[in-house]
Amino acid sequence: MSDTDHPSAAASPSDIADDVDEAALARVLRVVPLGAAVVAGTTVALLVIGYLAIYLLIFLPRGAVG
Amino acid sequence: MTDQPAATHERRILGTELLWAFGVGVLVAAVLGMIVFTALTIDINPPSNVERIDPKTLHLSGEFAEQNLGTTVGADGRVTVRAIATQFMFVPHCIAVPQERLVTLRFTTPDVIHGLLITGTNVNTMVVPGFVAQVYTTFTRTGDLLMPCHEYCGLGHSDMWATVQVMPDSDFKPDRDGRVSCAQR
Repeated sequence: MSDTDHPSAAASPSDIADDVDEAALARVLRVVPLGAAVVAGTTVALLVIGYLAIYLLIFLPRGAVG
Repeated sequence: MTDQPAATHERRILGTELLWAFGVGVLVAAVLGMIVFTALTIDINPPSNVERIDPKTLHLSGEFAEQNLGTTVGADGRVTVRAIATQFMFVPHCIAVPQERLVTLRFTTPDVIHGLLITGTNVNTMVVPGFVAQVYTTFTRTGDLLMPCHEYCGLGHSDMWATVQVMPDSDFKPDRDGRVSCAQR
């Protein structure tokens, strides 16, 4: 690929963005929220499980304080 | 697979975000609900005593004068511990408390901000000059518990610790002044 094939302000041909297939992008974006929800949901679930374990198994058995 | 219009994608993403926001809302409500529930049912609260004291004169007279420090059992049977956190020690260095009785712990400092926790318990408070930190709790197990300063207070911070000696109620015998000291071992 020569510089003249892709008129662009980019200094190097490797910095020029590829053409976007809008249809393919739409297909991918349809699935992305589900994947993000699974990753974020798993992360938050682990955090909540850790919090509950410390709260219920360590903090509460230590008794009242105030 | 037919491509859906952009507006449909937007709605799907918005729906996911709203579902996530709802889930987070439920979690926050559940955690706050647990905190309120335990506060109301088993009396677990953050220490919230606000009581002022002059840090320049607290050692001269009053409840934090040297002769009043340590563990005291009042005429009504209430157990109160008074201690001073100072660079770089707790006075007294050993605190005797009974098992399975409500104990009121009162701390103050004449110099800088300190903090303390008692290992294996929920006792955890800051000790700020000009204020009396008060925590009450019931110690459930006998033994010696470490009470370190947990707020950096200077070069000797790591040497600042005390011992809380939890003794069976049968061994917790106040003298005629109502005072109890750690057992010598």
